Formats: sequence, C-alpha cells, structure tokens
Amino acid sequence: MWPMIETGAWVLSGLFALHMVWDWYKTDTTYSEDVLTSSREGEIEAMVEQHKLNG
Amino acid sequence: MARYIPPKQSKIGQMIDVVVLLILSIGALYIPLWLGLAGSSKLPLPADNPTWESLGQNEVMVERWNALGFADPASAHDMITARFDYSFTWGALALMVVVIVGYFVMMLRLSEKEYREVIAEKFDGK
Amino acid sequence: MMANTDITSKTMDGMGPHGTKVGLLRVLGPAHVWALGVGIVLVGEYMGWNFAVGKGGAYAALIACWFAGILYSCVAMIDSEVTSTVAAAGGQYTQAKHIVGPLMAFNVGLYLVFAYTMLEAGNAITLGYLISVAADMTGATEPLDQRPFIILAIMFLAWLNYRGVLATLTFNLIITAFAFCAILVLFFASAPWSEGSMLAHGELMSGQAALPYGWLGVLAAMHFGLWFYLGIEGTTQAAEEVRSPARALPFGTLAGIMTLLIAATLTWYICVGYLPWEYLGDGVNGAVAPLFSAAQMTGSDALIIILGFGTLFATLASANGCINDASRAWFSMGRDHYLPQWFGAVHPQYRTPYRSIIFLVPIALIFALGAPLDQVITFSILSGLLGYTFMPINVILFRRKWPLDTIKRGYEHPFHPIPAILLIALCSVTYFAVFLGYGTQLIAMVSFYIVVSLWFHFWRYRFVKRADQFTMPWPKPRGY
Repeated sequence: MWPMIETGAWVLSGLFALHMVWDWYKTDTTYSEDVLTSSREGEIEAMVEQHKLNG
Repeated sequence: MARYIPPKQSKIGQMIDVVVLLILSIGALYIPLWLGLAGSSKLPLPADNPTWESLGQNEVMVERWNALGFADPASAHDMITARFDYSFTWGALALMVVVIVGYFVMMLRLSEKEYREVIAEKFDGK
Repeated sequence: MMANTDITSKTMDGMGPHGTKVGLLRVLGPAHVWALGVGIVLVGEYMGWNFAVGKGGAYAALIACWFAGILYSCVAMIDSEVTSTVAAAGGQYTQAKHIVGPLMAFNVGLYLVFAYTMLEAGNAITLGYLISVAADMTGATEPLDQRPFIILAIMFLAWLNYRGVLATLTFNLIITAFAFCAILVLFFASAPWSEGSMLAHGELMSGQAALPYGWLGVLAAMHFGLWFYLGIEGTTQAAEEVRSPARALPFGTLAGIMTLLIAATLTWYICVGYLPWEYLGDGVNGAVAPLFSAAQMTGSDALIIILGFGTLFATLASANGCINDASRAWFSMGRDHYLPQWFGAVHPQYRTPYRSIIFLVPIALIFALGAPLDQVITFSILSGLLGYTFMPINVILFRRKWPLDTIKRGYEHPFHPIPAILLIALCSVTYFAVFLGYGTQLIAMVSFYIVVSLWFHFWRYRFVKRADQFTMPWPKPRGY
C-alpha cells in the first residue's frame, strides 16, 4: 500500500507546483507590472489617524 | 537636500542580485556542514560489555529503555554515553564576542548614516 | 485609539493613500492573530525543544524553558508596543526601517525570512519522520522514502498560502487548537495525581540524570529553550491583513505567549516523566517527536493516534504560518527595493505576495531535504536570536526618538527600560549557550550577516528611494 501512497504524494506535489506556476504565468502575462507592484506600505495609519507633522 | 533618484535596475541585474543572496545564504549553512565543522559533536564513550548498572540506569529507566525497543545495554550504550564537549578556549569565546559585537556596531553605524539621509530628505527636502 | 474610525470599510479595503491599486486583503481578527502566533510556535512543543534536554538534562530544560519564557514575555511586550504604532506587513522589518535605519531593516528582514524558512524546513523533516513511523506501524515492509511527503507538505502549504490568507489562517486556527488540546489530553490521560500513573519523574531524574553537565548544562540548554516559543513574534507580519491592528495584534500576541507558557510547561512535565533523558534529548536518533514518543510509551492506541495527529497538525500549522510570515517579509523588502522590486507584487485576485511565496519554496526544500534537524533548528534559532537582540535596541531608540507624548500607542509596555535590559541580558546568555556545542554555526552565521550587510550598504542600497521608505505619518524624530 505504501508504495502507492508514495507515488500519490509525488503526483500531488507535482500538481500543486504546476498549478502555482501556471497561475503565476497567467497572472504575469495578464496584468501589467505597474498594477502588480503598486502596493505601498503604510495605508493603515493614514486611514486611522494623521499625526501632526511638527518637524 | 536634493532628492536622491535611484537608478533603474535591469531584469538581469535583479536576477544577479537574487543569485548572489542565494549563494551566500546557502553557503552559510552548508559550508560548516561540508567542512565537518558544524557543532552537535556528541560522541559516545566506548565501553566493553556494558551493563545497565555500569551505564547508571535504575530499574525504571531500564524498563523504559526496553519499552523503547532497546532490549539490551549494548544497543542503548551509544545513546546513553554520548556527551557534548563543552570545553572551550577563552580565545574562541573572545572571538565570538568580537564577531557579534563588531557586527552590531558596524551595522548600527552604517544604519545611522543611511537613516540620517532618509530623515533629512523626508522632513527637510520639501 | 481606533474607536471612531472604520478601517473595515469596504470602499477603503486594500486602497492606500500612496496609489496602491492592489493591496493585501484586510480580513483577519484577533483569533487569527493568535492562530498565526501559536500555530507557528506550538510545533516547538512537539519537536525540537528536547534538544535542550540533550544539552543539559531534564531539569536544565525546565529552567531554560522558564527563562526563555521570560525572554519571550519581554519580546511580546516590546513588540506589541512598537507594532501597535507600526502596523505594516513586514513587522519588525518595517519597525527597524522607521526607528533604526535601512541597513538594520535589511538585516532584520533577512532574520525573519531565515528564521521562518528554516523552521518550515524543520517542520517538513518532522512530518517526513512521522509518516515513516506511521508506515512502520501499519506494517510496511520496505523503509519509506520520506522525500515525497516532505515535498508534498511544502507544496501544499505554499499553494494554500498562494490562494489567500483567510482560508490559510482559518485552517491554522482549527489545526492549532487541535494540537493544543492533544497536549492537554495526554496530560490528563497520564493522570499525574493518581497512584498508578506511569509518570516516573523521581526515578528518571535521579542520580546521573539530574544534572548530567552540571550548571554549565543549564546555560547550554538555553540554546534550544528558545524553541518552546520561537516565532511568536511573527504575529506582526499579519498587520496589513488584520481588521483592527492596534487592538488585535497586542491581544493576539499576549494571549499567544500565555498559551505557550502553559503548553511548554505541560510538555516538559509529560515527556520527562515518560522517557529517559538520553533518549529524549537525542532528537535525531531518539525522540524526534517527543510528545508522540511519550504517547507511544503509554501503550494506548487512542493516545498514539491523537498525539500522532497532534504532531502532524502542529508541523503543518507551523509550516503554514512560516510560509505566510517569510513571504510577507520578503515581499516587503521587495516593495522597498531592498530586494529586486519584482518580489513586491501582489496577486490581483488572491491578494497575496505570490512571487515571494513561490520563490521561497525551493529554498525551504533544499534545507528540508539536505540538512539534519538540529542544524536546521540552530540556523532558525540564531536568526531569531539576532532578531531579539535587535528589539531592545529598537524600543530604546523608539522611546528616545518619539517619547510617549509624541505618538499615540495602541499599547504601552510597562517598566521601560527594564524589559529591554532583561531581554539583552538573556540574549547574551543564549549566545553563549549556542556557542557551547554549536560555536562554528554561530560564527558562520554572523559572518554571513556581516557579508550581506556590506553587500547591501555598498551595492544594493543604491536602488532604494530615500525618503519614500519612511511611510508612517509620524513627526520628525527627536535629535535629527
């Protein structure tokens, strides 16, 4: 039984890997690099509370 | 203060940077392993015809060893007598202190230099 | 602080003031923060901590467990204060960037990535071992090839992370709760209060077994004592995905450390009561999964199954959280161009840092398939330890550059600067503990960080915009 489970694990690993790589390729070719890397840090604070800049 | 405009990095340049980081980080773990220098040097003390008594095991311990599948003292001998060697030289200890403290001092000084630039540009560079 | 602002607003979701078109998704609550923190760490009770027994004996491991508990309480308090103001994916990396400086931030980012990726590798190794034991117990005739299971675990969890954070951490919440309950079940089933209990602390810890290395062993045990709690500081990585970070992060983190103090002490108590310390302390050839080994000693099939699944779930939850945290740290560094900006991408549908997630998969695999468990764990502990050394420096500078009246904190830690000083003292002890037995690893690792620091300062930093890194709406720091 275990040799079969081993093979199954290999196959499943391959499937997960393939799915990620396929989706990665699809995403990178569908959207422009500007949209994908547009995330910026610090959105929370700006929405929650603006500290006074006294510098 | 003038705003600093960073150069654009090419795709190939980005890839080279990633490869450099990879080589460095994998090297840091594997070089000590390859050279056989990595720690965990636990060595068993050899003994002929060990008995449970000579290994310092009492009745309850023996019962547990048996339950773990070590039927006789010889099979458990290596595991029981293995000990780390904690002897060290003061030179080695000093080296460690110098490396760690030196690392933090260097990093904090270079960081401070970069940080002053950031603050100057952020708050005075309008 | 957060009371009159609705940051769960649908229209604002994922939309930042700096032109963010696709941001991380803000969906998590305090329970998820707890699950992320405890989920990563709880595996430390199921494997790895027992190397501390090997380094100093059973009593030494308990002392190390409690001192490490103090160390982590300091970490949790300090971290909660800073995080309740600097809430961004990247956690301590973002803190360092705002408070200490870019090079420190780059180093902290790498500590995080390596601590978590190595922990992930350690989890996969344990999982492989567990499956091989299961194969033996069900009568497999040939020794099992562990590799496909190690690879499958990492691939599956990476895939889960790739597909979205909410499902990932909800999954974590369930399996972490199970693993925690499994420890309680084993404790009560062992019935330490009854006459017929199989726990034999007195006999197993007598004679040479009491303190086999003397007091030096107690010091040395601190090395793996950290393993009981390592990773709890990872809760901050979820900051951009939590609905109300200023409240949920301190709450989840502090609840997490309390859970772990209980779990760690119970684990120690159970395991040293069942197993001879020489076996328990050898996590490579002896007790790879100590709670599971303890369950095997009871001879009860039910307990073996419960603790087997407990171990399995703990490794999965931990690896899962590690992928989550390491990829956020890597992503944040990419976003700031500390690393190639290519890594700063967010998946437009799943809203996850998908390229970072994929990139870290092969690295975890290299170490999971190629290195022994104690080495991988030491690599992780050292990166964590360097990170804890950074925290006191961080909080002291934070209080100096922005005193309490200049920035509102969601949480203020008490008795400053005592926790910071205590933390630095405990870190120094731990460096010495690692030095005993694993000195070469320590030097190699720090040398690595020295080399990358120089690389960053003299080469990589030229690609980073200066003022843009400072994203918090804070006043100018004192003294600049």
